[in-house]
Amino acid sequence: MLFQLRDVTKRYQKVTALRGLTVSMPEGAIGLLGPNGAGKTTMIRTLLGLITINAGEGEVLGMDIKRRRLDIRQATGFVPEDECLFPGMTGIEFVGYAGELSGMKPRDAMQRAHEVLDYVGLIEARYRKADSYSTGMKQRLKLASALVHDPRLLILDEPTNGMDPRGRDEMLAMARDLAHAKGMSLLFSSHLLPDVEAVCDHIMVMGAGQLLASGRIDDLKRHEGRQLMVRTKTGQDEFARALQARGLEVEPKDDGLLVSLHEGDGPEYLWRLASETGVQIRSLLPRRSTLEEVFLSALAGAAKPNAPNSQEVGAA
Amino acid sequence: MPVFDQGYQHWQGTLSGHAGRWLAIARQGIKAQLRNRRTKYLVIAAWTPALVLAAFLALWGLFEQKADVLKPFMDVIKTVLPLEIFEGPRSFRTSLWTIAFDAFLWIETGLALILVLLVGPDLISQDLRFNAIPLYLSRPLLRFQYFLGKLGVIVGFLAMVTVVPAFIAYVVGVSFSLDWSVVQDTWRVLAGSMVYGVVVAVVCGLIMLAFSSLSRNSRAVAMLWVALWLITGVIAGALVDSTRGRFDPDSSSSKESDRWWALSFGANLNRLREAALNTPEAYRQVVTSFQSAAAQAAEMAQGQLGGRNRGPFGLPFGPRRRPPATPPPPTPPGGPPAMFDSRINPPFPWTWSAGILTGLSLLSVLVLSNRIKSLDRLR
Repeated sequence: MLFQLRDVTKRYQKVTALRGLTVSMPEGAIGLLGPNGAGKTTMIRTLLGLITINAGEGEVLGMDIKRRRLDIRQATGFVPEDECLFPGMTGIEFVGYAGELSGMKPRDAMQRAHEVLDYVGLIEARYRKADSYSTGMKQRLKLASALVHDPRLLILDEPTNGMDPRGRDEMLAMARDLAHAKGMSLLFSSHLLPDVEAVCDHIMVMGAGQLLASGRIDDLKRHEGRQLMVRTKTGQDEFARALQARGLEVEPKDDGLLVSLHEGDGPEYLWRLASETGVQIRSLLPRRSTLEEVFLSALAGAAKPNAPNSQEVGAA
Repeated sequence: MPVFDQGYQHWQGTLSGHAGRWLAIARQGIKAQLRNRRTKYLVIAAWTPALVLAAFLALWGLFEQKADVLKPFMDVIKTVLPLEIFEGPRSFRTSLWTIAFDAFLWIETGLALILVLLVGPDLISQDLRFNAIPLYLSRPLLRFQYFLGKLGVIVGFLAMVTVVPAFIAYVVGVSFSLDWSVVQDTWRVLAGSMVYGVVVAVVCGLIMLAFSSLSRNSRAVAMLWVALWLITGVIAGALVDSTRGRFDPDSSSSKESDRWWALSFGANLNRLREAALNTPEAYRQVVTSFQSAAAQAAEMAQGQLGGRNRGPFGLPFGPRRRPPATPPPPTPPGGPPAMFDSRINPPFPWTWSAGILTGLSLLSVLVLSNRIKSLDRLR
């Protein structure tokens, strides 16, 4: 397991940031989703042992979050969301210093700093003062300083914030490479669902300090069994009218029709109807929910009164 | 496109233990501050008094041995020093070493306060300004180690101008004395200097770190430091002056008003140094010797005049005086001259200074621990 939390509660005076949070995530690339105030940052700080929790327990990489805080941070790299810099340093000094703080010898840290700056694409700018870097370069610099000691778990908090599209693509490509080609586990917190989808295998959705949903993205994006996307070569409007005449729900979507079948009917019903109406079907696909829908349905489930704590909603 | 893209490589090296992580912060801080030209020049300038101290101790060692190299100057030295010191310098060894180190540390304390002003304000306030604290604390580093590292920067610089030069000067002095008994006589001077150096570094370091944690603006922090140093001195001086008038102008009342100096930060450091080196005793011995010599010289001068009254400007002219019927008793040595009075009779006990400086240090620790309680409060 990458990390496990059991009944973790964290209160900041009157505000409860985590309410009995229980979650267990496997190694791999984990997307952390949730609206503002969901408790994502508090959970990250809990995992890093930066805050003292009021109740509960847990482990990160098999290490107890209360007793082995420093060991957890030793095995973890953290890229904070905010702009934060060690003042007055060049890029190479910045990353080397981060390595020394992680326990590397100064010479090793400097050598490794060159390697990781090369990896994140800052090798040409390494002797420039870090505070003169652009926002995107600062994000890369933070990534390099998180990677310098070769962590087992990399925590990225909104890593693509403020980056231009090209920089964002490169950042996502690096995150994907680290997770899928280099065997590093990732906890990727972002508001941007396409970013999470591009990098992660698993997601966990948080809301109001609780876990709303978690699981493999492929499982959560379930087949909507009775809904099919139909595209016809010609006569799409005519076909839609024919479907509606038979009491089916039809909704134009993109360049096709989203058809909800009756209970017990299958795709062959549409083939038969197309044959009857003389319409040629070009494609017929079962509809899968998007990550956005998974996210919104998890939030909606939590908003309903008396809703169960809907873990594994998608996988159900 | 790079010709050869090596991609991400895992790292297989060994890491040091958690305990020494603060050293990286201290090392980096010292390296960064030494890039500041003013700091570098001040550190170099602060070594000049150390050279003077080492030279004095070396010369004293040679003088004790009546070394040949000093023979041409012996006549001059004899006229400057009391006979008692000239003939038995070893019995004044401890006192003169003490006074020499006291003078050295007095100068270095002033320079140290300026050095702290240059080095200290940025230490935490700049980290707050650049939001660097999350970068530190997300590493395997405790808050305590962060502060220890920052304190290490100030302690390192102050050691460069107090403890280290004092130690080197001591070694030079011992080397030139060619007499191991010098260690027996003066070990307390070295120990006192070391203790004082450490106390100054820790107290100044903690106070400056507390100030530095209070504001993101380094200039405001620097002003706080100057205020602590200068304003407390000015206030204490004003209180001494104003209360002195209220009392009778006898010595005991004057002493009472001098106790207001305990409000001055600098005076407390000085008082602690006096206690660490035991300077009152050293000054008493040396000043008494000079006073006795002066009294003897005056008597001899009177004898040489053959009873002639001194003329204008103390010249041996004027009408012949009638010899007294009985010789006058030798003049008892009066109180020490005013400039040495406070050195020999400190205005307040050193325990007051120890208490005040301990209180300031504890207050600073309290400020630090409250100010940087959690990451949330930093932002």
